[in-house]
Amino acid sequence: MTIGEKFTAAFIAENRWQLYLKGLGITIEIAFFAAIIGLMLGTVLALMNLSTHKNGKPAVVHYLATAYVDIIRGTPSVLQLLIMWFIVMKSSNNGVLVASLSFGLNSAAYVSEIVRAGILAVDKGQMEAGRSLGLTKGMTMRYVVLPQAMKNIIPPMGNEFITLLKETAIVGYVSLNDLTRAANLIQSRTYEAFMPLIGAAVIYFVVIKALTLALGVLERRLRRSDNR
Amino acid sequence: MITVKNIVKDFKNMDGSVNHVLRGIDYTVEQGQKIVIVGPSGGGKSTFLRCLNLLETPTSGDIIFDGENITDPKTDINKVRQRMGMVFQTFNLFNNLTVMENLTLAPVKLKIMKEEEAEEKALNLLRRVNLEEKADVYPSSLSGGQKQRIAIVRSLCMNPEVMLFDEPTSALDPEMVGEVLDVMKQLADDGMTMVVVTHEMGFAREVGTKVLFMADGIIMEENTPDKFFTEPQTPRLKEFLSKVL
Repeated sequence: MTIGEKFTAAFIAENRWQLYLKGLGITIEIAFFAAIIGLMLGTVLALMNLSTHKNGKPAVVHYLATAYVDIIRGTPSVLQLLIMWFIVMKSSNNGVLVASLSFGLNSAAYVSEIVRAGILAVDKGQMEAGRSLGLTKGMTMRYVVLPQAMKNIIPPMGNEFITLLKETAIVGYVSLNDLTRAANLIQSRTYEAFMPLIGAAVIYFVVIKALTLALGVLERRLRRSDNR
Repeated sequence: MITVKNIVKDFKNMDGSVNHVLRGIDYTVEQGQKIVIVGPSGGGKSTFLRCLNLLETPTSGDIIFDGENITDPKTDINKVRQRMGMVFQTFNLFNNLTVMENLTLAPVKLKIMKEEEAEEKALNLLRRVNLEEKADVYPSSLSGGQKQRIAIVRSLCMNPEVMLFDEPTSALDPEMVGEVLDVMKQLADDGMTMVVVTHEMGFAREVGTKVLFMADGIIMEENTPDKFFTEPQTPRLKEFLSKVL
Protein backbone atom coordinates (compact mmCIF):
# COMPACT_ATOMS: atom_id res chain seq x y z
CA MET A 1 0.00 0.00 0.00
CA THR A 2 1.18 3.51 -0.70
CA ILE A 3 1.01 6.12 2.01
CA GLY A 4 -2.03 7.59 0.33
CA GLU A 5 -3.82 4.26 0.35
CA LYS A 6 -2.91 3.70 4.00
CA PHE A 7 -4.28 7.13 4.84
CA THR A 8 -7.49 6.45 2.97
CA ALA A 9 -7.91 3.08 4.70
CA ALA A 10 -7.30 4.57 8.13
CA PHE A 11 -9.38 7.74 7.88
CA ILE A 12 -11.57 7.97 4.78
CA ALA A 13 -12.92 4.51 3.96
CA GLU A 14 -16.26 3.65 5.53
CA ASN A 15 -16.27 7.14 7.07
CA ARG A 16 -13.75 5.95 9.66
CA TRP A 17 -12.85 9.52 10.62
CA GLN A 18 -16.18 9.58 12.42
CA LEU A 19 -14.94 6.85 14.74
CA TYR A 20 -11.99 8.98 15.85
CA LEU A 21 -14.27 11.93 16.34
CA LYS A 22 -16.78 9.95 18.41
CA GLY A 23 -13.89 8.47 20.35
CA LEU A 24 -12.47 11.91 21.04
CA GLY A 25 -15.93 12.99 22.18
CA ILE A 26 -16.04 10.19 24.73
CA THR A 27 -12.48 10.89 25.87
CA ILE A 28 -13.25 14.56 26.44
CA GLU A 29 -16.60 13.84 28.06
CA ILE A 30 -15.06 11.49 30.62
CA ALA A 31 -12.10 13.78 31.29
CA PHE A 32 -14.37 16.81 31.67
CA PHE A 33 -16.73 15.27 34.21
CA ALA A 34 -13.86 13.58 36.03
CA ALA A 35 -12.04 16.93 36.28
CA ILE A 36 -15.13 18.57 37.81
CA ILE A 37 -15.57 15.76 40.33
CA GLY A 38 -11.85 15.79 41.05
CA LEU A 39 -11.74 19.55 41.55
CA MET A 40 -14.69 19.67 43.93
CA LEU A 41 -13.91 16.56 45.94
CA GLY A 42 -10.20 17.34 45.89
CA THR A 43 -10.73 20.82 47.40
CA VAL A 44 -12.94 19.35 50.10
CA LEU A 45 -10.32 16.68 50.84
CA ALA A 46 -7.57 19.32 51.05
CA LEU A 47 -9.59 21.38 53.55
CA MET A 48 -10.32 18.20 55.53
CA ASN A 49 -6.64 17.37 55.49
CA LEU A 50 -5.70 20.80 56.86
CA SER A 51 -8.38 21.03 59.53
CA THR A 52 -7.26 21.09 63.12
CA HIS A 53 -8.79 21.28 66.55
CA LYS A 54 -8.45 24.48 68.55
CA ASN A 55 -5.31 23.12 70.21
CA GLY A 56 -3.67 22.59 66.83
CA LYS A 57 -3.99 18.79 66.77
CA PRO A 58 -5.31 17.27 63.50
CA ALA A 59 -9.08 16.76 63.36
CA VAL A 60 -10.67 13.34 62.70
CA VAL A 61 -11.49 14.38 59.13
CA HIS A 62 -7.76 14.90 58.54
CA TYR A 63 -7.20 11.18 59.02
CA LEU A 64 -10.13 10.31 56.75
CA ALA A 65 -8.69 12.50 54.00
CA THR A 66 -5.16 11.13 54.29
CA ALA A 67 -6.48 7.56 54.30
CA TYR A 68 -8.45 8.29 51.13
CA VAL A 69 -5.45 9.81 49.38
CA ASP A 70 -3.26 6.89 50.47
CA ILE A 71 -5.65 4.27 49.14
CA ILE A 72 -6.26 5.97 45.81
CA ARG A 73 -2.59 6.68 45.20
CA GLY A 74 -1.63 3.20 46.32
CA THR A 75 -3.64 1.33 43.68
CA PRO A 76 -3.48 1.43 39.86
CA SER A 77 -6.16 3.48 38.18
CA VAL A 78 -6.96 0.66 35.75
CA LEU A 79 -7.78 -1.53 38.69
CA GLN A 80 -9.92 1.21 40.24
CA LEU A 81 -11.80 1.46 36.96
CA LEU A 82 -12.35 -2.31 36.82
CA ILE A 83 -13.50 -2.39 40.44
CA MET A 84 -15.92 0.45 39.76
CA TRP A 85 -17.28 -1.24 36.60
CA PHE A 86 -17.46 -4.87 37.73
CA ILE A 87 -18.14 -4.49 41.47
CA VAL A 88 -19.23 -1.11 42.80
CA MET A 89 -21.47 -0.01 39.93
CA LYS A 90 -22.17 -3.44 38.49
CA SER A 91 -25.83 -2.60 37.88
CA SER A 92 -25.06 0.47 35.78
CA ASN A 93 -24.54 0.12 32.07
CA ASN A 94 -23.68 3.77 31.58
CA GLY A 95 -19.96 3.35 30.88
CA VAL A 96 -19.23 7.07 30.59
CA LEU A 97 -20.79 7.71 33.99
CA VAL A 98 -18.86 4.89 35.65
CA ALA A 99 -15.59 5.95 34.04
CA SER A 100 -16.13 9.65 34.91
CA LEU A 101 -16.79 8.72 38.50
CA SER A 102 -13.82 6.40 38.70
CA PHE A 103 -11.39 8.93 37.21
CA GLY A 104 -12.95 11.74 39.23
CA LEU A 105 -12.46 9.87 42.50
CA ASN A 106 -8.92 9.08 41.43
CA SER A 107 -8.10 12.64 40.37
CA ALA A 108 -9.53 14.05 43.62
CA ALA A 109 -6.69 12.43 45.56
CA TYR A 110 -4.06 14.17 43.44
CA VAL A 111 -6.00 17.44 43.30
CA SER A 112 -6.26 17.47 47.09
CA GLU A 113 -2.48 17.29 47.39
CA ILE A 114 -2.11 20.14 44.88
CA VAL A 115 -4.64 22.31 46.72
CA ARG A 116 -3.11 21.48 50.09
CA ALA A 117 0.38 22.42 48.90
CA GLY A 118 -1.03 25.61 47.34
CA ILE A 119 -2.64 26.64 50.62
CA LEU A 120 0.44 25.81 52.69
CA ALA A 121 2.59 27.91 50.34
CA VAL A 122 0.65 31.05 51.33
CA ASP A 123 2.56 32.88 54.06
CA LYS A 124 1.08 31.97 57.42
CA GLY A 125 1.17 35.61 58.45
CA GLN A 126 -1.84 36.10 56.16
CA MET A 127 -3.93 33.73 58.28
CA GLU A 128 -2.60 35.28 61.50
CA ALA A 129 -3.43 38.79 60.33
CA GLY A 130 -6.98 37.71 59.48
CA ARG A 131 -7.42 35.99 62.82
CA SER A 132 -5.94 38.93 64.73
CA LEU A 133 -8.71 41.14 63.31
CA GLY A 134 -11.34 38.76 64.67
CA LEU A 135 -12.14 37.05 61.37
CA THR A 136 -12.85 33.34 61.70
CA LYS A 137 -10.56 30.74 60.20
CA GLY A 138 -13.16 29.99 57.52
CA MET A 139 -13.56 33.64 56.55
CA THR A 140 -9.81 34.23 56.35
CA MET A 141 -9.47 31.08 54.29
CA ARG A 142 -12.18 32.19 51.88
CA TYR A 143 -11.34 35.87 51.45
CA VAL A 144 -7.57 35.87 51.88
CA VAL A 145 -5.79 32.52 51.74
CA LEU A 146 -7.65 30.62 49.02
CA PRO A 147 -7.53 33.47 46.47
CA GLN A 148 -3.76 33.62 46.95
CA ALA A 149 -3.44 29.83 46.88
CA MET A 150 -5.12 29.83 43.45
CA LYS A 151 -1.98 31.26 41.88
CA ASN A 152 0.09 28.39 43.26
CA ILE A 153 -2.52 25.85 42.32
CA ILE A 154 -3.15 26.63 38.64
CA PRO A 155 0.12 25.34 37.10
CA PRO A 156 0.18 21.89 38.79
CA MET A 157 -3.57 21.64 38.32
CA GLY A 158 -3.11 22.03 34.58
CA ASN A 159 -0.62 19.22 34.75
CA GLU A 160 -3.13 17.07 36.60
CA PHE A 161 -5.85 17.68 34.01
CA ILE A 162 -3.49 16.80 31.19
CA THR A 163 -2.54 13.57 32.93
CA LEU A 164 -6.20 12.86 33.51
CA LEU A 165 -7.11 13.38 29.87
CA LYS A 166 -4.44 10.95 28.73
CA GLU A 167 -5.19 8.43 31.45
CA THR A 168 -8.72 7.99 30.09
CA ALA A 169 -7.06 5.96 27.31
CA ILE A 170 -7.55 2.91 29.53
CA VAL A 171 -11.35 2.97 29.36
CA GLY A 172 -11.11 0.40 26.55
CA TYR A 173 -10.81 -2.07 29.44
CA VAL A 174 -14.49 -1.58 30.17
CA SER A 175 -15.51 -1.57 26.49
CA LEU A 176 -15.83 2.17 26.02
CA ASN A 177 -14.91 3.35 22.55
CA ASP A 178 -12.75 6.32 23.36
CA LEU A 179 -10.14 7.76 21.01
CA THR A 180 -7.45 5.18 21.77
CA ARG A 181 -9.84 2.28 21.41
CA ALA A 182 -11.19 3.69 18.15
CA ALA A 183 -7.67 3.78 16.71
CA ASN A 184 -7.06 0.30 18.01
CA LEU A 185 -10.26 -1.02 16.39
CA ILE A 186 -9.43 0.54 13.05
CA GLN A 187 -5.97 -0.98 13.23
CA SER A 188 -7.51 -4.42 13.65
CA ARG A 189 -9.77 -3.82 10.63
CA THR A 190 -7.10 -2.53 8.25
CA TYR A 191 -4.17 -4.63 9.53
CA GLU A 192 -2.17 -1.44 9.47
CA ALA A 193 -0.93 0.17 12.68
CA PHE A 194 0.92 3.32 11.67
CA MET A 195 -1.83 5.62 10.45
CA PRO A 196 -4.51 5.04 13.12
CA LEU A 197 -2.12 5.03 16.09
CA ILE A 198 -0.06 8.02 14.99
CA GLY A 199 -3.29 9.73 13.98
CA ALA A 200 -4.75 9.26 17.46
CA ALA A 201 -1.49 10.48 19.01
CA VAL A 202 -1.63 13.65 16.92
CA ILE A 203 -5.23 14.29 17.99
CA TYR A 204 -4.35 13.89 21.70
CA PHE A 205 -1.39 16.20 21.21
CA VAL A 206 -3.44 18.93 19.57
CA VAL A 207 -6.13 18.83 22.26
CA ILE A 208 -3.59 18.97 25.06
CA LYS A 209 -1.63 21.74 23.40
CA ALA A 210 -4.83 23.78 23.21
CA LEU A 211 -5.50 23.08 26.90
CA THR A 212 -1.96 24.15 27.82
CA LEU A 213 -2.35 27.43 25.96
CA ALA A 214 -5.67 28.14 27.67
CA LEU A 215 -4.16 27.47 31.10
CA GLY A 216 -1.27 29.78 30.28
CA VAL A 217 -3.71 32.61 29.60
CA LEU A 218 -5.51 31.95 32.89
CA GLU A 219 -2.25 31.87 34.83
CA ARG A 220 -1.05 35.18 33.41
CA ARG A 221 -4.37 36.76 34.23
CA LEU A 222 -4.18 35.61 37.84
CA ARG A 223 -0.64 36.91 38.22
CA ARG A 224 -1.65 40.43 37.27
CA SER A 225 -2.39 41.56 40.84
CA ASP A 226 1.31 40.89 41.63
CA ASN A 227 2.63 43.82 39.67
CA ARG A 228 0.23 46.63 40.20
CA MET B 1 -7.48 46.12 81.40
CA ILE B 2 -5.36 43.06 80.64
CA THR B 3 -4.23 40.94 83.54
CA VAL B 4 -1.88 38.05 82.94
CA LYS B 5 -1.63 35.42 85.64
CA ASN B 6 1.23 32.95 85.76
CA ILE B 7 1.48 32.41 82.00
CA VAL B 8 3.64 29.46 80.97
CA LYS B 9 4.41 28.53 77.38
CA ASP B 10 6.35 25.41 76.46
CA PHE B 11 7.26 24.43 72.93
CA LYS B 12 8.05 20.82 72.14
CA ASN B 13 11.15 20.44 70.00
CA MET B 14 11.46 17.90 67.21
CA ASP B 15 13.62 15.65 69.39
CA GLY B 16 10.98 15.59 72.11
CA SER B 17 12.77 17.95 74.49
CA VAL B 18 10.80 20.89 75.82
CA ASN B 19 11.66 24.54 75.34
CA HIS B 20 10.36 26.74 78.19
CA VAL B 21 9.72 30.02 76.40
CA LEU B 22 7.61 31.67 79.10
CA ARG B 23 8.18 30.59 82.69
CA GLY B 24 5.33 32.10 84.64
CA ILE B 25 4.53 35.71 83.88
CA ASP B 26 2.29 37.95 85.95
CA TYR B 27 1.47 41.42 84.76
CA THR B 28 -1.32 43.94 84.49
CA VAL B 29 -1.72 46.48 81.74
CA GLU B 30 -3.93 49.39 82.76
CA GLN B 31 -6.16 51.41 80.47
CA GLY B 32 -4.18 54.06 78.59
CA GLN B 33 -0.75 52.68 79.49
CA LYS B 34 1.96 52.25 76.89
CA ILE B 35 3.94 49.19 77.88
CA VAL B 36 7.18 48.75 75.97
CA ILE B 37 8.89 45.37 76.11
CA VAL B 38 12.57 45.06 75.28
CA GLY B 39 15.07 42.27 75.69
CA PRO B 40 17.36 39.85 73.89
CA SER B 41 15.97 37.67 71.12
CA GLY B 42 14.69 34.34 72.34
CA GLY B 43 13.72 35.92 75.63
CA GLY B 44 10.01 35.38 75.07
CA LYS B 45 8.90 38.93 74.17
CA SER B 46 7.03 38.05 70.99
CA THR B 47 5.57 34.87 72.44
CA PHE B 48 4.26 36.84 75.41
CA LEU B 49 2.67 39.42 73.11
CA ARG B 50 1.16 36.72 70.90
CA CYS B 51 -0.33 35.05 73.97
CA LEU B 52 -2.28 38.23 74.77
CA ASN B 53 -4.61 37.68 71.80
CA LEU B 54 -4.14 33.92 71.81
CA LEU B 55 -2.26 33.69 68.53
CA GLU B 56 -0.22 31.44 70.80
CA THR B 57 -2.16 29.39 73.31
CA PRO B 58 -0.41 29.44 76.68
CA THR B 59 0.45 26.03 78.12
CA SER B 60 -1.00 27.20 81.43
CA GLY B 61 -2.10 30.38 83.16
CA ASP B 62 -4.91 32.88 82.72
CA ILE B 63 -5.34 36.04 80.68
CA ILE B 64 -8.14 38.34 81.78
CA PHE B 65 -9.24 41.05 79.38
CA ASP B 66 -11.89 43.49 80.59
CA GLY B 67 -12.95 41.02 83.28
CA GLU B 68 -13.27 38.10 80.88
CA ASN B 69 -10.96 35.10 81.11
CA ILE B 70 -10.00 34.68 77.47
CA THR B 71 -8.00 31.49 78.05
CA ASP B 72 -11.28 29.80 78.96
CA PRO B 73 -12.11 27.54 75.97
CA LYS B 74 -15.73 28.77 76.14
CA THR B 75 -14.69 32.34 75.33
CA ASP B 76 -15.35 33.37 71.74
CA ILE B 77 -11.81 34.43 70.90
CA ASN B 78 -12.89 36.02 67.61
CA LYS B 79 -15.03 38.50 69.53
CA VAL B 80 -12.11 39.26 71.85
CA ARG B 81 -9.70 39.79 68.97
CA GLN B 82 -12.06 42.32 67.41
CA ARG B 83 -11.21 44.58 70.35
CA MET B 84 -7.45 43.95 70.26
CA GLY B 85 -5.49 45.23 67.28
CA MET B 86 -2.23 43.61 66.30
CA VAL B 87 0.61 44.86 64.13
CA PHE B 88 3.18 42.38 62.88
CA GLN B 89 6.86 42.64 62.09
CA THR B 90 6.19 41.47 58.53
CA PHE B 91 3.11 43.73 58.02
CA ASN B 92 0.96 40.85 56.70
CA LEU B 93 -1.26 42.99 54.55
CA PHE B 94 -3.60 40.81 52.50
CA ASN B 95 -1.74 40.57 49.19
CA ASN B 96 -4.79 39.71 47.09
CA LEU B 97 -6.73 42.80 48.18
CA THR B 98 -6.32 46.52 47.55
CA VAL B 99 -5.45 48.79 50.44
CA MET B 100 -9.09 49.82 50.81
CA GLU B 101 -10.24 46.19 50.76
CA ASN B 102 -7.59 45.36 53.36
CA LEU B 103 -9.01 48.02 55.64
CA THR B 104 -12.69 47.24 55.21
CA LEU B 105 -12.65 43.42 54.99
CA ALA B 106 -12.94 42.68 58.69
CA PRO B 107 -15.38 45.44 59.73
CA VAL B 108 -17.70 44.66 56.80
CA LYS B 109 -17.56 40.86 56.86
CA LEU B 110 -18.00 40.81 60.62
CA LYS B 111 -21.01 43.11 60.14
CA ILE B 112 -19.63 45.76 62.45
CA MET B 113 -20.00 48.48 59.84
CA LYS B 114 -21.75 48.96 56.54
CA GLU B 115 -19.49 49.12 53.53
CA GLU B 116 -19.83 52.89 52.97
CA GLU B 117 -19.33 53.53 56.65
CA ALA B 118 -16.19 51.38 56.76
CA GLU B 119 -14.80 53.05 53.63
CA GLU B 120 -15.37 56.48 55.09
CA LYS B 121 -13.62 55.53 58.30
CA ALA B 122 -10.78 53.92 56.35
CA LEU B 123 -10.33 57.05 54.23
CA ASN B 124 -10.24 59.25 57.32
CA LEU B 125 -7.59 57.08 58.91
CA LEU B 126 -5.59 56.89 55.66
CA ARG B 127 -5.62 60.67 55.57
CA ARG B 128 -4.17 60.75 59.07
CA VAL B 129 -1.17 58.70 57.92
CA ASN B 130 -0.97 60.62 54.62
CA LEU B 131 -1.71 57.61 52.44
CA GLU B 132 -5.17 58.35 51.10
CA GLU B 133 -3.89 58.29 47.51
CA LYS B 134 -2.91 54.64 48.02
CA ALA B 135 -6.46 53.44 48.70
CA ASP B 136 -6.84 51.58 45.42
CA VAL B 137 -3.40 50.05 44.97
CA TYR B 138 -2.27 46.56 45.91
CA PRO B 139 0.20 46.07 48.78
CA SER B 140 2.95 44.85 46.42
CA SER B 141 3.41 48.40 45.12
CA LEU B 142 3.97 49.93 48.57
CA SER B 143 7.19 50.53 50.47
CA GLY B 144 7.74 48.79 53.82
CA GLY B 145 6.98 51.93 55.79
CA GLN B 146 3.77 52.50 53.85
CA LYS B 147 2.74 48.88 54.36
CA GLN B 148 3.25 49.10 58.09
CA ARG B 149 1.35 52.37 58.42
CA ILE B 150 -1.51 50.78 56.52
CA ALA B 151 -1.32 47.68 58.71
CA ILE B 152 -1.73 49.96 61.73
CA VAL B 153 -4.70 51.66 60.07
CA ARG B 154 -6.20 48.24 59.29
CA SER B 155 -6.23 47.42 62.99
CA LEU B 156 -7.60 50.84 63.90
CA CYS B 157 -10.56 50.34 61.54
CA MET B 158 -11.89 47.83 64.06
CA ASN B 159 -11.89 50.49 66.84
CA PRO B 160 -9.73 48.37 69.15
CA GLU B 161 -9.39 49.08 72.86
CA VAL B 162 -5.75 48.03 72.89
CA MET B 163 -3.06 47.72 70.24
CA LEU B 164 -0.33 45.08 70.27
CA PHE B 165 2.84 45.77 68.28
CA ASP B 166 5.22 42.90 67.54
CA GLU B 167 8.53 44.50 66.51
CA PRO B 168 6.75 46.82 64.05
CA THR B 169 9.93 48.45 62.73
CA SER B 170 12.34 45.51 62.66
CA ALA B 171 11.70 44.60 59.02
CA LEU B 172 11.99 48.16 57.76
CA ASP B 173 14.80 49.94 55.97
CA PRO B 174 16.30 52.47 58.42
CA GLU B 175 14.94 55.52 56.63
CA MET B 176 11.37 54.23 57.02
CA VAL B 177 11.48 53.54 60.75
CA GLY B 178 10.69 57.13 61.63
CA GLU B 179 7.43 57.38 59.69
CA VAL B 180 6.05 54.29 61.44
CA LEU B 181 7.18 55.40 64.89
CA ASP B 182 5.55 58.80 64.27
CA VAL B 183 2.20 57.11 63.64
CA MET B 184 2.63 55.08 66.81
CA LYS B 185 3.47 58.19 68.83
CA GLN B 186 0.39 59.91 67.45
CA LEU B 187 -1.66 56.92 68.54
CA ALA B 188 -0.09 57.04 72.00
CA ASP B 189 -0.92 60.74 72.29
CA ASP B 190 -4.53 59.95 71.44
CA GLY B 191 -4.63 57.79 74.56
CA MET B 192 -4.56 54.33 73.01
CA THR B 193 -3.56 51.49 75.32
CA MET B 194 -0.48 49.93 73.72
CA VAL B 195 1.80 46.98 74.29
CA VAL B 196 4.88 47.29 72.12
CA VAL B 197 7.70 44.80 71.60
CA THR B 198 10.56 46.73 70.02
CA HIS B 199 14.28 47.32 69.72
CA GLU B 200 13.77 51.07 69.39
CA MET B 201 15.12 52.30 72.72
CA GLY B 202 14.39 55.92 71.81
CA PHE B 203 10.73 55.07 71.37
CA ALA B 204 10.68 53.17 74.67
CA ARG B 205 12.15 56.13 76.50
CA GLU B 206 9.91 58.72 74.87
CA VAL B 207 6.54 56.97 74.73
CA GLY B 208 6.61 54.20 77.32
CA THR B 209 4.63 54.42 80.55
CA LYS B 210 6.57 51.42 81.75
CA VAL B 211 9.44 49.55 80.15
CA LEU B 212 9.76 45.81 80.73
CA PHE B 213 12.93 43.80 80.28
CA MET B 214 12.19 40.24 79.29
CA ALA B 215 14.83 37.55 79.22
CA ASP B 216 14.86 33.81 79.81
CA GLY B 217 11.06 33.66 79.72
CA ILE B 218 10.40 36.03 82.63
CA ILE B 219 9.94 39.76 83.20
CA MET B 220 13.34 40.38 84.72
CA GLU B 221 12.91 44.06 85.35
CA GLU B 222 10.19 46.68 85.14
CA ASN B 223 10.60 50.39 85.57
CA THR B 224 9.66 53.85 84.38
CA PRO B 225 11.52 54.77 81.20
CA ASP B 226 13.86 57.21 82.98
CA LYS B 227 14.98 54.80 85.64
CA PHE B 228 14.97 51.81 83.32
CA PHE B 229 17.78 53.27 81.26
CA THR B 230 19.65 55.21 83.93
CA GLU B 231 19.41 52.88 86.91
CA PRO B 232 19.25 49.30 85.67
CA GLN B 233 19.12 46.89 88.62
CA THR B 234 20.08 43.49 87.30
CA PRO B 235 23.44 42.61 85.71
CA ARG B 236 21.51 41.11 82.80
CA LEU B 237 19.85 44.43 81.96
CA LYS B 238 23.10 46.36 82.45
CA GLU B 239 24.76 44.04 79.97
CA PHE B 240 21.85 44.34 77.55
CA LEU B 241 21.79 48.12 77.71
CA SER B 242 25.55 48.35 77.23
CA LYS B 243 25.14 46.43 74.00
CA VAL B 244 22.18 48.30 72.53
CA LEU B 245 22.75 51.89 73.62
